[in-house]
Amino acid sequence: MPRRRLLAGLAALALEAGGCRRRPVVERRPPGPIRLVFQHQPFLGDPSPLRQLFEDFERDNEGIVVATELLPSAPGAVHQYYLTALEGGSRDFDVFIIDVIWVAEFARAGWIAELSSAFPPAVVRREFLPGAAEAVIVGDATFAVPWYVDVGVFFRRSDSVPQAPRTYSELVALTRDAVAQRPGMRGYVWQALQSEGLVCNVYEAIWGHGGASMLGGRLLLDTAEGRGALDYLRALVACGISPGSVTSMAEEESRRVFQSGDAVFTRNWPYAWAEAESVGSAVRGRVGLSALPTADGSIGRGALGGYQLALNASTPAWKVDAAHRFIAHLTSAEANLAIALAYGRNPPRAAVYRDPRLLAGAPAIAGLLPLVERAEPRPVTPYYPMIDGTLAAEFSAAITGVRSPAEALRRAQAEVDHLMRGDD
Amino acid sequence: MKRLGLALAVAVVVLFCAGPFLWQVLTSLRPEGDLTSLDFPRSLTLESYRSVLTGRPFARSVLNSFIVASATTVTSLFFGATAAFALAKLELRGRSFFLGMALLASMFPGVAVVSPLYLAVRALGLRDHLLGLVLPYTTFALPMAVWILTGFFRAIPDEIYRAAIIDGCSPFQAFRRIMLPLAAPGLGTTAILLFISSWNEFLYALALTSSARARTVPVAIGLFGGDHKEPWGEIAAASVIAMLPVILVALIFQRWIVSGITTSAEKR
Amino acid sequence: MNPSRARATPFSARDRRTAYLLAAPAAVLLFGVAVLPILFAAWLSLHRVILVLRERSFVGLANYRFLLHDPRFWSALGNTAYFAVFSVTAEFLLGLAFAHLLVSAAPGQRLLRATILIPWAVPAAVSGKIWAWLFNPEYGLITRALPGSINWLGTPGYAMPAAIVVDVWKTVPFVTLLIFAARLRIPEDLYRAAQLDGASSWRIFRSITLPLLKPTLAVVLVLRTLDAFRVFDAIYVLTAGGPANSTETLAIYTYKTLMDAGDFGHGSTLAIATFLCVLVISLAYLRLLGPEGRG
Repeated sequence: MPRRRLLAGLAALALEAGGCRRRPVVERRPPGPIRLVFQHQPFLGDPSPLRQLFEDFERDNEGIVVATELLPSAPGAVHQYYLTALEGGSRDFDVFIIDVIWVAEFARAGWIAELSSAFPPAVVRREFLPGAAEAVIVGDATFAVPWYVDVGVFFRRSDSVPQAPRTYSELVALTRDAVAQRPGMRGYVWQALQSEGLVCNVYEAIWGHGGASMLGGRLLLDTAEGRGALDYLRALVACGISPGSVTSMAEEESRRVFQSGDAVFTRNWPYAWAEAESVGSAVRGRVGLSALPTADGSIGRGALGGYQLALNASTPAWKVDAAHRFIAHLTSAEANLAIALAYGRNPPRAAVYRDPRLLAGAPAIAGLLPLVERAEPRPVTPYYPMIDGTLAAEFSAAITGVRSPAEALRRAQAEVDHLMRGDD
Repeated sequence: MKRLGLALAVAVVVLFCAGPFLWQVLTSLRPEGDLTSLDFPRSLTLESYRSVLTGRPFARSVLNSFIVASATTVTSLFFGATAAFALAKLELRGRSFFLGMALLASMFPGVAVVSPLYLAVRALGLRDHLLGLVLPYTTFALPMAVWILTGFFRAIPDEIYRAAIIDGCSPFQAFRRIMLPLAAPGLGTTAILLFISSWNEFLYALALTSSARARTVPVAIGLFGGDHKEPWGEIAAASVIAMLPVILVALIFQRWIVSGITTSAEKR
Repeated sequence: MNPSRARATPFSARDRRTAYLLAAPAAVLLFGVAVLPILFAAWLSLHRVILVLRERSFVGLANYRFLLHDPRFWSALGNTAYFAVFSVTAEFLLGLAFAHLLVSAAPGQRLLRATILIPWAVPAAVSGKIWAWLFNPEYGLITRALPGSINWLGTPGYAMPAAIVVDVWKTVPFVTLLIFAARLRIPEDLYRAAQLDGASSWRIFRSITLPLLKPTLAVVLVLRTLDAFRVFDAIYVLTAGGPANSTETLAIYTYKTLMDAGDFGHGSTLAIATFLCVLVISLAYLRLLGPEGRG
């Protein structure tokens, strides 16, 4: 390494340590093509359909080349990576993927660029599913564009339970019947491991009891609906409707139980459907999919998941237009369709669900429209990453019986209120 | 009778150490539908290995890890040995301060320094370079080397060092020709310790690399899977492949430990 | 440190120069990559730094005052101490036993030497996954083999012992290797002489092996306790701190505060607090083990 570079590096470090970060960089565009760096998680399966999307973009946009870098699949690791890189003002990447629960946080921190000029909020609201649009619009400005959506759905063994339960009491009764007929069967398996999956399950139960996530910027936890939800989930485990093992199950653990034919019901993301119907699955052709049950029998709302595309706030101005075009290309209806057909990801654009090519190529995905339409984001607040650890821990304490649901909710509410105290 | 007891003990230890890993090997050979079974699999398949070695640049990550771990080991061993020798056998003012600093460095939780290290490595233009990992890895490797090697140099009798000086060696010659060979078992042991610690490191590697050219094995294994699905067969196969270089290094250095001990005994 | 030994050697100016030359590169490196970042973290711990809010203000010792009344901190400290005491004790005893086996005339030495390093060579994140699979509540080998089909990772009170088992498995090779290398340095003549005197194995262990291993054992104990107090990978992959935060150690709390919440002020304070705990423990060890133990 040349010595001058070392000195320059040390000087830069001293400046950054001194807090002189993010000085505006006036920078002229270097000669040659614009190089956009796109970071994303790998999809399982053949990478060529995705590569095709990049190649199409490069063909239609002469003078722009796309370089891709892969991220780990664990969301925690990705969050850590971006926290470190974006806080450090990294300019090593331009467009990157971002979890629904990070959009408000990254926007508030000033790490991602506002995209309203290229993707006005009104247009996003009109073209994308309501939950997906709500998750990327922060204070009436667009900060990311949905790439694909995920939603919590309810699975049953259609051979032992022909009709899906609509209420919680039906779920309990049907489980008892089915298990009585086939001893050794587990009842309802879901995700009660202290993790983000548990938070999703609890929120779905809160909505299923008629509760809301937030009221005027305050998180609602210590409420009648909240207590109803945790009482119900705790009772599932305590009364044996769910096996005790759910408290160490995340998505994959519960999927394996269901897919091995050992459980009557499960809650998971749609990927579990594709897996259950794959060759070699013990339950292939015997799986029914529906909305989650609720207390009063209305159609349950599943938690919204999935990834969005965002633009690094430190990306130099001369690249921004190319980045906008790239995001538009990857989130177009055609790209939605390609990703759905190749990788089974749900399109965030409502219109795609009526596309005959989707109906013919992936009818199961097209059939999810009523569920993704009702998908609900977890609380959209910049504080979410600060509070979800507390939520997971207190919910876990209630489910494992360490504390009563009421006590756990009181503690969670106090802690969350403290963390979110009026700094906004 | 005693021999039987010893054999039994060896069997138990081997089972304890290798058992979970062998289970992992078996998992890597199971067809996907067989993963939840506890029986010996009905059929074995190399599908997971094929998919690990063809779909992604995993072999490159193994090579990267090998380079980073070797470079960290050599660097820390070299600077650690010279410093440890000075600390153990020469008069050095600030000796306690030095050892204290090394101890301090190995006491600090690594996650809290990820952010400053990131800024430093990026400012040096070394992000996403293998060299940009070797430097931060000395944060844990060098203190460990200094501590362990100081112990080993202390254990070599002072008389040997003094005899070398009286024979006309300079302190550095005495270090290189006499002390270093005598400390060979210590160097071998430390080398294994350093290599494996660097091999295992995840936090810094995640923050400081972003592409296949610099990514190491622990991070590369994290790339298997989609957002929910965890392809357990592939992860198992990848970890089995990733073990091979470590076993190789362990065998090389182990030989060094044993031969070092016999030669030092002869010289004495 | 042994001052008498240092004084016994004749020193010249040339010696001293060599000493500084030899120690300088390591000192510079250590200062640059370890001490500076620590000082940086200490400085951060005096600030309120919340990345999301783009806040950075000097608050003095407020973060430390908060810690005194933070139940999550005390619970994490308790979990960490519990983990450290049991895992280090188990590793220490098993390491001694394994090293003894390695120098004994037991059959299958070659196999033993080859396998004993395996657990350690498996990347930590993967070893967590291997054990999570073995502890899987429905299909795990351990769950099925033991009576009562205990849900190890999902039951408060059981999850921490499971994590300790994983850590012991992972780190026993480290301990064994260090003890083994030190044990090989003990001259065989001592043992032969003792055997001729008709000493029992236990007596030989007590009066030859243990005293001569003491410096190494001290290093092992210090290094392992330092590591155990900062345990992260094994538990994070296994339980991520659950259920009900019953396996949340200081390092996991620190990690979540820094990397999930982006609260760098509080997170750095936790790191410094961990550091201070470890410092106190090491000082206690050094005092307890006496001067020969120090190095």
